[in-house]
Amino acid sequence: MQSERGIDISVGLFILLGLGSVIFLVMQTLGLGQVNSGDSYTLQARFDHVGDLKLRAPVALAGVTIGRVSGIRADPLEFRAVVELRIDSNFSNLPVDTYASIASKGLLGGKYIELSPGGDEEFLQDHDEIELTQSAILIENLIGKYMLKGTDE
Amino acid sequence: MLAARSPENLVEIQDVRYSHGERAVFSGLSLTIPRGAVTALMGPSGTGKTTLLNLITGQLLPDEGVVLFDGRVVCPCSRRRLYQTRRQMGVLLQQGALLTNLNVFENVAFPLREHTKLPEQLIRQIVLMKLQSVGLRAAWQHMPSQLSGGMVRRVALARALVMDPTLIVYDEPFVGLDPISKGVIVRLIRQTNDALGITSIVVTHDVAETEILADLSYLIAGGKVVASGTPQDLQKDKSDIVQQFMQGQADGPVPFHLPGPGYAEQLRTMTAA
Amino acid sequence: MNAAIRDCWLGFSRFVAAFGAFQIFSFRILPYLPKAVLRPRLITEQIYSIGALSLVLIMFGGLFVGMVLALQSYNTLVEFGTIDLLGAFTAEALVRELGPVVAALLFAGRAGSAVASEVGLMRATDQITAMELMAVDPIRRVVVPRVIAGVISVPLLAAIFSAMGVLGAYLVGVHVLGVDGGAFWSQIPERVDMTTDVGIGLVKSFIFGVSASLMGVFEGYNAAPNAAGVSRAATRTVVITSVWILLLDFIVTGLTLPEV
Repeated sequence: MQSERGIDISVGLFILLGLGSVIFLVMQTLGLGQVNSGDSYTLQARFDHVGDLKLRAPVALAGVTIGRVSGIRADPLEFRAVVELRIDSNFSNLPVDTYASIASKGLLGGKYIELSPGGDEEFLQDHDEIELTQSAILIENLIGKYMLKGTDE
Repeated sequence: MLAARSPENLVEIQDVRYSHGERAVFSGLSLTIPRGAVTALMGPSGTGKTTLLNLITGQLLPDEGVVLFDGRVVCPCSRRRLYQTRRQMGVLLQQGALLTNLNVFENVAFPLREHTKLPEQLIRQIVLMKLQSVGLRAAWQHMPSQLSGGMVRRVALARALVMDPTLIVYDEPFVGLDPISKGVIVRLIRQTNDALGITSIVVTHDVAETEILADLSYLIAGGKVVASGTPQDLQKDKSDIVQQFMQGQADGPVPFHLPGPGYAEQLRTMTAA
Repeated sequence: MNAAIRDCWLGFSRFVAAFGAFQIFSFRILPYLPKAVLRPRLITEQIYSIGALSLVLIMFGGLFVGMVLALQSYNTLVEFGTIDLLGAFTAEALVRELGPVVAALLFAGRAGSAVASEVGLMRATDQITAMELMAVDPIRRVVVPRVIAGVISVPLLAAIFSAMGVLGAYLVGVHVLGVDGGAFWSQIPERVDMTTDVGIGLVKSFIFGVSASLMGVFEGYNAAPNAAGVSRAATRTVVITSVWILLLDFIVTGLTLPEV
């Protein structure tokens, strides 16, 4: 009868430890930039090529994440890629001449969207499209270009 | 055969046939267990005494024939009805079969805790009373692994009695016990039967103990009842099989040599029969 | 030649029969589940015996796997200049794969075989028969609490394993190999997603928990009622559960990997 208490305590501790681990893992993977729709607005951008840009890739301003890629699809009419960006509402002052380019994190890093704001006084609104875009630079094309150049000489 | 309600017989086996695979265990077995008495079921090893017990408790279904308990057919039945029937039976298995993770007290209290919502105080009284009746009240804290074989069976008896059953079945209760422990069990079986007014069935092949204990004996051999009556009647029975069993003769209707190919033939060529 | 084919066929049909029996057993348990919450004591006792007592094994296992993972991946990551991703890499491997799978395998070995032996021994010493004769349903009393306890314990153990693994990787990576501590932790959310990775890991470990518990109890409940039968039940549990977990893992990973 006495060990009943001991068992209860052990089981309680075990479950606490387990739940604690789950919370720990959840906290670790819950990063910044977890933008929910309440605090964000959506922008669109078209690219000739997105490379290996993935869903939930960061959208950065001056290298700081202010949003996530929330959708990638191909446009059957224009034959370009349409990328949907979910931006933190704190940054609703992006000028309409903002540049959106697909950049790489390091040589082998994943792709992300880098925003370079222009100087226009008009700001991008919810569901607007970013006009100025720079597609992904694909290593293969670069290497191809330099190889051609090399053989010329 | 009609399933008539028979007040003086608690259990009735009516023309039961049962086969285990290809082997016919019972080929038309009939017997009755009278209320309030100690009935012994005896027979050579392998006659199916344990199978008979299983038929009575509903663990097995007869191929043909009827098993009645208190006037009602035991099985076929729903699980719930079977459990209801079993609550009126206490069974003492050969090894006692106590739950190894519970101590003696908790083992005896087990049926009470599972089937009733009695308050703790009442459970304690009942359990101690039952333990007292088997002489093991002082062992209430022990674990089954700390008990001797005889003591395990006594605790199992206390447990079998805790719900005040109408029938109590003992499966080979004397096997492997020293004479003193045997004496204890004999006394307990008799006392319990008389004091509580219940019916007892003892499956055994211990002729000596049966003589002291049983009001009625059945000798089962070859799938049928070959003799019945008081132990004294069986002693006087002149048939070969009864004599072989009661006297403990090595050879007779139950042969010494297992049936097989001829000796000379097998010395020449050892092939499987 | 014919004998070999016949043996194969026998083996196969025996396997199918056993699998069928297992399914029937599992479905037989279902109706008891809702009422089982009325006996929390039984479940708690089992969580203690199979969950809490497995803690040491799981925690050590997780810690060392995490440390080894950090050591193993260090060279490759350094070579590609992505050493900052050590935390992310190990966390992802642990949360998605190693945590659920290795924890479940360790569980099958320690707790699965223990349950099989326990229940098998109860079968061999007629305790289960005794219960039936006392009109106590052994499925309700013996089987169901163990299954529920396993289903609760395994996901918790997998989470503990993964957490310890990440800690182990941190200790080795940052304090031994000199990886930047800040980078270690900050890169994790970049690569490891809560819903997909942690979520899938938990779902997997839940499925593994169900399988491991059911298999252990099934083998024990149907063990041959003698000493050889009990030990056979224990070893069979470990083998069958382990193979099944690895197979399931492959299927689940295959189904969930192609994510955009």
